[in-house]
Amino acid sequence: MAEEQKQAQSHSGPPRREGGGGHGPGGGHGGPRREGGPGGGGPGGPGGRPRGKRQYFRKKKVCKFCVEKMDFIDYKRADILSQFVQERGKILPRRMTGVCSRHQRWLGVAIKRARNIALLPFAGSAAGTQAPRQVVPQAHGAAGTHAATPATPAAHPATPAAAPAAPAPAAEAPKA
Amino acid sequence: MEERLYDLIFIARPATPEDEIKKVISGIEHTCAEKGGKIEKTEHWGTRKLAYRVAKHREGIYVYQQIRTNHGELIAELERRLRVQDVVIKYLTVRLDEDLKRQKKLGGKREQRAARRPRRSAPASVPAPAAPSAPEQAAAS
Repeated sequence: MAEEQKQAQSHSGPPRREGGGGHGPGGGHGGPRREGGPGGGGPGGPGGRPRGKRQYFRKKKVCKFCVEKMDFIDYKRADILSQFVQERGKILPRRMTGVCSRHQRWLGVAIKRARNIALLPFAGSAAGTQAPRQVVPQAHGAAGTHAATPATPAAHPATPAAAPAAPAPAAEAPKA
Repeated sequence: MEERLYDLIFIARPATPEDEIKKVISGIEHTCAEKGGKIEKTEHWGTRKLAYRVAKHREGIYVYQQIRTNHGELIAELERRLRVQDVVIKYLTVRLDEDLKRQKKLGGKREQRAARRPRRSAPASVPAPAAPSAPEQAAAS
C-alpha cells in the first residue's frame, strides 16, 4: 500500500529526490538552487531585505491577503500598502513578500492609485520633499539653467548678466 | 444602464478656510443633483502630509466622497469643475462597482466552497480534479 503510494507519486521515472514537489525546508540539495545562509524564509519576516546579490530569500509561501481573505485591496489604506513598498517607494517583488500572483496584480493597481493621490511616494520622489542638492557651478559652465539652488556662490548669478568687470566671471567666460 | 459607484478624492491647499472647502463640496453636490447622481458618503480626512510635493505644498486637506450614479458623464463634469478650482491641487476618481462585484462574487464562491466541503474531513471527500491518484486511493481503500 505504501509502495503503491510512492510509485503513484513519482511516476516520472526513478524517484531521485525526496518529496517530488515540495522544495521548502528540504535543504541540502545540490543543483541550481542556491539557498542562502538562513535557508528558507523563517527568520525573514515581512520586512526582509536582500543582503547580497546572490541570496535567494525564500519567503514562506503564505499570501497575507489570501489568509485574511481580502478580495478588495483598498488603495486608500496606505498603512497596509506601505508594507509592500520599499522606503524609496518601489514596489516589492512577490518573492520578497510572499504574495500570490493574483493579489500582487491587484496590489500593484492599488499602489499606483495611491501614488497618484499622494498617499504613497513615487519611486525616488521622496527626495522632492527635501532641500534640493547643491549644483557645482563649474560643471555646467555659464549656462545658468540649473538655477534651482539658492545657495550657490555669488559668481553664478553674475555670469548670465555678463558682468565683465569682475575677474572671476572673466575666468569662466572662455569656457562658455 | 446599471448603477455605477465612484470614489472621488480631492486634495485642497493646506491652509484653506473651511468655507472654501464647503463651497467646493456644495458645487459637487449641485452637479450631482443636476445630472442625477447621489453622494453616498463624504469624509473629511483633514490635513495630511503628502508623499511628495504637489504644487509646492507638502501637506493637503483630503476630502473623500462616494458617488452613485447612472450617468458616466457626471464624473467628467465633476472632474472638469475640480480642475478649474484654484483650491483643489489634486483629484482622483475611481470606478468601483466592477471591483466590488468581483469581490462579492469571490466571497460568495468561497462561502459556497466552504459550505459544500465539511471542514477537516477525510481526503476522500475532497473533490480534487488535479490528482488522479486520489480516486484510486479511495477506490483501493
